[in-house]
Amino acid sequence: MEQIDRGNPQKLYIQVFEILRKKIEGGEWPVESQIPIEEELCRIYNVSKATIRTAILELVRQGYLMRHQGRGTFVCKRIIPEGLTMSTSFREFMLGAGIAFSTQVLAQTVTMPVDDLGIKLDVTEDKHLIYIRRLQIVDGEPVFLQESYIPYYVCPSMLKENVADNSVVELLEKKYEIIITKVKDYIQVVNSREDESKLLNLPKDTPVLLLEQHFYSAETQVMYTRSIKRTDRFRFTMEFEKK
Amino acid sequence: MSQNRTVGDLKIDIFDYPHIPYWFTLKQATGIIRKSMIESEKCFHPLAILVFDEKYNLMGTLELKNILKGLEPKFLSPSTKAQGYTDSAESLSSVWDSLFSEKSKALAERPVIEVMNPIKGQVSSDSPVTKAAYLMVHQDVMILPVIDNQKIVGIIRMKEVFEEIAKAILNE
Repeated sequence: MEQIDRGNPQKLYIQVFEILRKKIEGGEWPVESQIPIEEELCRIYNVSKATIRTAILELVRQGYLMRHQGRGTFVCKRIIPEGLTMSTSFREFMLGAGIAFSTQVLAQTVTMPVDDLGIKLDVTEDKHLIYIRRLQIVDGEPVFLQESYIPYYVCPSMLKENVADNSVVELLEKKYEIIITKVKDYIQVVNSREDESKLLNLPKDTPVLLLEQHFYSAETQVMYTRSIKRTDRFRFTMEFEKK
Repeated sequence: MSQNRTVGDLKIDIFDYPHIPYWFTLKQATGIIRKSMIESEKCFHPLAILVFDEKYNLMGTLELKNILKGLEPKFLSPSTKAQGYTDSAESLSSVWDSLFSEKSKALAERPVIEVMNPIKGQVSSDSPVTKAAYLMVHQDVMILPVIDNQKIVGIIRMKEVFEEIAKAILNE
């Protein structure tokens, strides 16, 4: 049985969360089964009740578990997206289908939710966030600047991933099995900020397209992205399919 | 030290401390550190923020005194010849009060890299606790990074170092 590694710098509740998540995803704890009570889990993993409770609350938040008052905690059915589905991939939408580009990673570090980021990501201000900033270049010209914010506890390994050659969404879904079930998009035209103008080789205050995206896995927001795109060279296409 | 305890025995998780990139402003850092003070369960002593670069390399630490010093108009710094508390230091401090709104609010937009304590020394998990104490005293910092195989694995604080040395002094 997998146990807590006390030499691991990762917080204990995150380690417990990962162990329990694997039990659910691996089918050891099947859908609708009741999980052991907190005292039992404390004994198995030799951690405090507070650690177990925090890990379970996170699994509830991410849609893996459901608590029934007076009855216990049960494994949930995972939510499957239904209805109208956008069949255009994000890259196709922002860059155009079939356009070759290269990616420059400007930052891949950790920050805190300052300004209105806590509200946008629906996390408390003490939660660490992985911050990724990338610039995409087409024909030697910078066209697209993207900032991604991922709560650290959602996917700590994203800090070390190769995000120059891989899509963050694909990594989340294919490598870490964090399935995106909903995306909320907000699109508007804004004037570029000074730092954005410099990176995109634009005069200050040039109108650019701002796309803000909120990515959810079940009821938990797992990523917020802020993408800035030059509007002078492209037109945008979106295609939807009814499932 | 009697029990041969090492830095590794005393280190804590780096995620117990807020992280920011070096380009954050003093104003943003102030908001983060104040939040740590308000939330009693997250009130770590000493209060500090870890400052990282774009590739998540630790560059420095930011303590309360760094922020306060960063907000102080430059011309108010006492002469380097001044020793201890002087009359001129007192009169300079009253000048700061009169200029606070005009100067310090503008200085709050400075990036933290300008005022942080850069990482000068480091300890590893197998370093003796006395090495951590020595570096803290001589670099005037309250926390130090613990680096093993070029990777940050934790933080050691003056609080724990002092406690360990106190035990040895008091023969506990």
